[in-house]
Amino acid sequence: MKTNNKKAWLYLLPTIIFVSLFSIFPILRALGMSFQSGPLINLQWTGVSNYQYIFTDPEFWRALKNTLLYAVIAVPSALVISIFLAWSIFSKIRHQSFFETMFFMPYVTSTIAIGIVFRYIFNGDYGMLNFLLRLIHFPAPNWLDDPSMNMTTLILFGIWTSLAFNIVILMGALRNIDPNYYTLADMYGASGNEKFWRITMPQLVPTIAFLLTMNIIGAFKIYTEVYALFNGQAGIGNSATTAVYYIYNKFQMVGTPGVAMAATVVLFLIILVVTFLQRKMMKRIGR
Amino acid sequence: MKFTRKIAVTAIAALALLGTAACSKNGSSSSSSSSSKIPAKITKKTTVVFWHGMSRAQESTLKSLTSDFEKKNPNVTVKLQYQGQYTDLQAKINSTLQSPNNLPTITQAYPGWLWNAAKSKMLVDLKPYINDKNVGWGSASASDINTDLLSGATINGTQYGIPFNKSVEVLVYNKTLLDKYGVKVPKTMAELRSASEEIYKKSNHKVVGAGFDSLSNYYVLGMKDKGINLSSKVNFTGSDSKSVINYYAKGIKAGYFRTAGSENYLSGPFANEKVAMFIGTSAGEGFVKKGVGSKFTYGVAPRPSTYNMQQGTDIYMFSHASAMQKAAAFKYIKFLVSKSSQIKWANKTGYIPVTKAAMNAPAYKSSKTSKVPAQLAKTTKHLYSVPVTKDSNAAYGQLNTIMQTIFAQAQKGNWDSAITAGKAKFDSSWKQ
Repeated sequence: MKTNNKKAWLYLLPTIIFVSLFSIFPILRALGMSFQSGPLINLQWTGVSNYQYIFTDPEFWRALKNTLLYAVIAVPSALVISIFLAWSIFSKIRHQSFFETMFFMPYVTSTIAIGIVFRYIFNGDYGMLNFLLRLIHFPAPNWLDDPSMNMTTLILFGIWTSLAFNIVILMGALRNIDPNYYTLADMYGASGNEKFWRITMPQLVPTIAFLLTMNIIGAFKIYTEVYALFNGQAGIGNSATTAVYYIYNKFQMVGTPGVAMAATVVLFLIILVVTFLQRKMMKRIGR
Repeated sequence: MKFTRKIAVTAIAALALLGTAACSKNGSSSSSSSSSKIPAKITKKTTVVFWHGMSRAQESTLKSLTSDFEKKNPNVTVKLQYQGQYTDLQAKINSTLQSPNNLPTITQAYPGWLWNAAKSKMLVDLKPYINDKNVGWGSASASDINTDLLSGATINGTQYGIPFNKSVEVLVYNKTLLDKYGVKVPKTMAELRSASEEIYKKSNHKVVGAGFDSLSNYYVLGMKDKGINLSSKVNFTGSDSKSVINYYAKGIKAGYFRTAGSENYLSGPFANEKVAMFIGTSAGEGFVKKGVGSKFTYGVAPRPSTYNMQQGTDIYMFSHASAMQKAAAFKYIKFLVSKSSQIKWANKTGYIPVTKAAMNAPAYKSSKTSKVPAQLAKTTKHLYSVPVTKDSNAAYGQLNTIMQTIFAQAQKGNWDSAITAGKAKFDSSWKQ
């Protein structure tokens, strides 16, 4: 049996203290608070009533549904589009670094600022998008002010914002593929398609697995995008409310931290399970 | 296996620690320092911290008022601390209530935000200060503050706040357009509907008649005009409630009414001549003026309803401060609501004066920069405020969401199911 070096603990001590104080303790505190009710200044133990409340609250279910919808649609779409874009930049386009920088720009811009610009693009009356749609005689929906369109708008916005990070990471991975593979493939007369599916994709699997994990976790924590796109509310009639939006609202606005923490614990468990399943899946694919 | 066991042991230990920490917290009751005497004079150097949510013209006016005060009271320093917009300020207060020593001396707030703080005795009852002859006015009536506004700053019947930056709702209309179509400025809700219909028809469905900025206010005041107060007992699917909702929903379906949607305020569409009239806060006149420019003439009229909503924050004092700080803070508050301060404040910001003397002062009434003062006396006869009870603030906020959902449904067809769904949400917002 291996034992850890005793001295190592000493060196790890500062990190252990900080991590337990600022990461572990908050998690435990959240867990404890989820069983308490009342305002922050006067918390009382109530048992599982907070959990009972959130599971009967239609708003909570809508928040979960929206979050799952977002994760299931926006993440894979964004990933597919970014693989396509990264591969195009990598294999077909000159001035790679210029395009790479261009695609990375959104990542260094604040989401709130992007949201303001997108509010103008999506505006139903004088938005750029609807102007273009009308030009080609397509129906021009009211992206921002129609509750049934709000999730679609959010997902489109989410896909756009997550492209930047994905492309840069994928470009790095593409560069790391041994060029000899391609040289060899060329010698044997492989087509572009074959090269992509037989060489590029298998080599990209670890990177894609990483991006998928990060993106899915990010999708479950989505908040800023909603706030920015709908001007400080969660869509019309809260139609685009998400899990974190629900938590923030209950904690800060309504003043029921217990309910917020119960929702946090549920969200934590969901992310845990999803990440676990996903890792299992990716391991199987990678094999 | 040994390592996992270690982790488990650590986790259990941590949980146990957490449990004891939480228990010990309940054990020590918060001690509310009952300040025995109010000092007559500020004899020592005293610092007052004031949290606020005022930006731009509001902030600069507040700063200049504060420096005026400091000149008159050299012993007092007032530290103005901007905490962001109202929602940010509310969140900041909420999270700081846990560590009372980090709270400011005084803060701007809606009473609903502080319901819990009042319950935990963290606020100062201001009545003794009001009645004090040196620091205050001697009595509430001597303060000359509008009684509706003053009673709006109470929590469970205790005078914890002093009204400061208050606003009401007014009707803003496109005078050029109304004159062109020969439409009279509406005085009642029935007239608002017919005027809106006429504008919508005569403009060939290009210009929407009217809209309300705050849908919560629309519903709460609509109910209040029918004699029903906002409380958990409101029957959301009852006939009164339905008639209030249907009035707006029918207009949206026919096209002559609209809502602000994700733009939050109608002053934008109003300036772009997409809507002819809207009901919004009097403090928003500056935005209207800036947006409209010289495109057309706008007018301001009283809200077409019996009751009007008094909005805006009051100033509250936290109980952890020293007796000297409290006295200094109250002197500052008294200065802020004095006649000359209020006239300056109202003229620069669009908020309404809280004292009767300032409201009737010629310097305010004959203001050349604002169209609100001339209408104010007519529209502040019956003021209503959101009652301060448990969850009333949450329910009031939830109403906005419910109305948005119903009105969005009305654009497409039948909205009865949305009202039924709204009832469930409304009722559940009172039980958190």
